Parts: sequence; structure tokens; C-alpha cells
Amino acid sequence: MIEIKNVSKWFGDFRVLENVSETIEKGQVVVICGPSGAGKSMLCKCLNGLEPFQEGDIVVDGISLADPSTDLIKLRQKMGMVFQRFELYPHMKILENITIAPIKVKKMSQADAEKKAFELLERVGIPEQAKKYPGNLSGGQQQRVAIARALAMEPEIMLFDEPTSALDPEMIKEVLDVMINLAKSGMTMVVVTHEMGFAREVADEIIFMEKGSIVERGTDVSFFKNPKSERTKEFLDKILLV
Amino acid sequence: MLAYDFKWSILWADPYGSWMLEGIWVTIKLGVICWFIALFLGTLIGTLRVTPWKLSRLFATGYTELFRDIPLLVQLFFWYFAAPRILPHSWEMYLYRGIPNSEFWIVVVGLSLYTSSRIAEHIRAGMQSISDDQYNAALSTGFTQFQTYRYVIIPYAIRLVIPPLTTECLTVFKNTSLAMTVAVLETTFMSQQIEAYTFHGIEATTGACVVYMIITLTVVMIMGLVEKRLAVPGLITRR
Ligand SMILES: Nc1ncnc2c1ncn2[C@@H]1O[C@H](COP(=O)(O)OP(=O)(O)OP(=O)(O)O)[C@@H](O)[C@H]1O
Ligand SMILES: [Mg+2]
Repeated sequence: MIEIKNVSKWFGDFRVLENVSETIEKGQVVVICGPSGAGKSMLCKCLNGLEPFQEGDIVVDGISLADPSTDLIKLRQKMGMVFQRFELYPHMKILENITIAPIKVKKMSQADAEKKAFELLERVGIPEQAKKYPGNLSGGQQQRVAIARALAMEPEIMLFDEPTSALDPEMIKEVLDVMINLAKSGMTMVVVTHEMGFAREVADEIIFMEKGSIVERGTDVSFFKNPKSERTKEFLDKILLV
Repeated sequence: MLAYDFKWSILWADPYGSWMLEGIWVTIKLGVICWFIALFLGTLIGTLRVTPWKLSRLFATGYTELFRDIPLLVQLFFWYFAAPRILPHSWEMYLYRGIPNSEFWIVVVGLSLYTSSRIAEHIRAGMQSISDDQYNAALSTGFTQFQTYRYVIIPYAIRLVIPPLTTECLTVFKNTSLAMTVAVLETTFMSQQIEAYTFHGIEATTGACVVYMIITLTVVMIMGLVEKRLAVPGLITRR
């Protein structure tokens, strides 16, 4: 479904991604972790065509992102993305946040889009918030709306960039529960997170990135039980402690 | 100023009262027309200044600096005295003879362009305070760049910069008074004319002051209502 082939990206002399390769099958959940500045967000943005890269290629469903003639708008409709700081549209009510893209991009009728939006809000557990503004919701609720907004475009792949790291501890679980359900329903997911409980439960593969490259990868068992590099061990000790 | 004989009635006595009313009407027309043109152009130019395309940024920067850096009075003189000369002779004649109130429309051009460059700066500042990920979030749902600006970034940015826009709106109405220098018969011009006919300068200028106060207070009130209408939780709120 997604094939990342030797992707490298520079900002001037500074290399943000270095020969990153990874294959993600349909229905797989891949968790990416690593220290700040490792390039995790950059990789997500590259996957969605929000950032260009200089070398290598990313192929999504047979579409090459390195090809300049690729229609990025079409590509992005295959992928939903969820951000650390929710990024809901503050001037639109929750319902509108979810329906605007289906209406404007997919030319769905307002009635259909709203019906779909209510189903999604039901699915993320907050149908009663539809008529409020994002500013009136808690962080956890906003992030669940953000997930619903992404799902409204019926993507085949969902990208999450640290979806719970701006949340208070008591709200993390409500968001993770939604994500776990999504994973179990067969969604292909790329998740940047340090929530190792989530990784244990649903990840098919865990990747550890540092300084722009993948330094370790493994299925959940191998990754936690016997990390190959000293650096991974150190990092895991640190995040598993807290 | 011994024994100055106040005669406030000159403000409404025939024919001065109707001069004053005509002046007020022209001031309001001029302000409203310039405000909407400037708001439209300013939003457009401000947006072009933050788009990813170099050429459009360059154009918008040039536009902003050109119209912002020259005194408004000089710009009005340029549009009134210089610009028509550059036109082919027949156009120039048409401008002066064919268009009734050509001086009014010349001021519309000058004042709108000047104000739009200032509005563009506010809009740009608003847009730059919106996080990159907000743009990314909109793009990630499949929006084009245009849709991202149209549905997300511009409505968001305008809400962020309503307070400075209110000030700009007041400034437009106050700046319409400069139109008297190119013989547009607006409030200031009329009050000066009443003064010239009656020698009652105190009453005439006081009258103009009151008119501007009423107009600007009305603008403040309307903008307050607009701000309330547009206010959303989590963004600037009006107290
Ligand atoms: N526009 C840019 N110009 C130069 N360097 C950049 C730019 N954007 C990001 N970087 C650098 O790229 C590196 C990778 O950034 P990225 O945001 O992907 O890190 P991350 O792994 O997501 O870290 P975090 O956990 O803090 O989110 C960082 O060192 C960052 O400073
Ligand atoms: Mg990041």
C-alpha cells in the first residue's frame, strides 16, 4: 500500500531524512517513535505530499510522489492526517469542520455529508458536540473531532503525528481508544507516538528513528524484548518508565 | 475675539443646511465605496504576500510598499493632476467631460489603493500568526491551495485582525476629508464653503467636527456588531 524507497531530504546542508525505506501493507499499523528532531513529523508530511523530498520515492497505491505530475490533491484524499495540536478550523462549528471537505472536495450534498458526520461523531463518541465551536471542547474531544474530520473523506490510510502528546493524561485514553478501534477495523495506519501501550496492542511494526534515519525496527515483541541497538534500549527505558 | 456673534443656525439655514447635507452624503458614499474596495483588494494582496509563489509575493510586496509609503495627499494629487495627463488626449477629455463627478472617482481610486495597502499588511500579519499545521490540516483533507485560503485561512485571519481593521475603517472615513483638495464637495469642503459665505468659521468647522464624530461612532458601533457576529470561542472575544 505504501512503499518508501530510500527517501532523503535536506534543508540546506542539514539532512532531515536519510535513506528512509519502509513498506507498509494494507491494514497494517506502523508506529514510529524516536527523540525530538528525529524527523518523524517530516516523514509524515512527506507521505502526504505536504513536504517535498530530494531523493528516493514514495509510492502510495501505485502513485509515485517523486513524479512531479502526480496530482497531490487526489493523493491526499486517500490519506487522512491528524496533528498534534488538533488544527480544527476555529471559526466553524464541529459539524462544519467535518462536512466542509466532503462538500467542497467530493461535491457531496450537505444532507449526505451531515448524515455521515453524525455517524462519525457517534463513532468517536461525541455526537452531542456537533453544534459547538472547537474552542468550547476539551483537547481530547477536539482530537476526536479531528479524527472524524479526517475519516469523513473516507481515506484508505490514516497518518497520526503525536496525536496525544498535547493532551492531559486523562484525555489520552479516550483518543487512544478511538485509534485502537480504528486499527482493529482494518485501517492502514502510520502513527507517530510514544504511547507504548498503544504500540503493544495494535502495532504490526515499530520503527525507531534518530537523526533522520531508521535505526531499528521490529514487531512489537522483538522490539521491546530485545532491541538491537544500545540507543533504542536507552530510549525505551526512558519512555517506558514514565 | 471680542463679541463674536454665534449664529449656529447657519448650519441648517437655507441654503447652507442643504450644502451640509450634500457634503455628508458625499462623505458617506466615498467612505463606504472606498472601504469595500480596499477590503477586497487588501485581502487579496495580503493573501498573495504569504502564498508559496515567489512572483505573486514579489508583486504584492511592491504593491504594498508603493501605496503605503507615499503620503495620501500626494497620491491624490498624482491621480488628479498627473495620471490623467499620461492618458491619450481623448481619454483625458472623456475623463473630465464624459464622467460626471470625475474627481469623486479619482479619489475613490487613490483612497482605495492607499487603504488597501494598509489592510493588506494587517491581513498578512493575521495569516502569519496561523500555524503551518493549520494550512497542512486543510490541505490534508484534499483542499486545493485556493480552497485552503478561501474556506480556512482568510476567514480565520480576518477574525484575528478585526480590531486593527476597525481602526482602518475609521481612517478611511476621516481620510475622505482630503478629497476637498481636489474639489470633491464633501463635508469638509462644504463647511469651508459655508465659512467663506457667512464668515461663521467656528460654527461651520464645529459642525464638521460633529458630523465626523457621528460618522465614526457609527462605524465603531457597526464594527462592534460585526465583531460580535464573527466572534468564536477560543479566538479574540469582545468584552
Ligand atoms: N523548515 C525547516 N527548515 C529547516 N529545518 C527544519 C525545518 N522544518 C524542520 N526542520 C528540522 O527538521 C528536523 C526534523 O523535524 P521533525 O519536526 O520532523 O522532528 P520530529 O521527529 O517530529 O520531532 P518532535 O518530536 O519534536 O516533533 C528538526 O531538526 C527540525 O529542526
Ligand atoms: Mg514532530
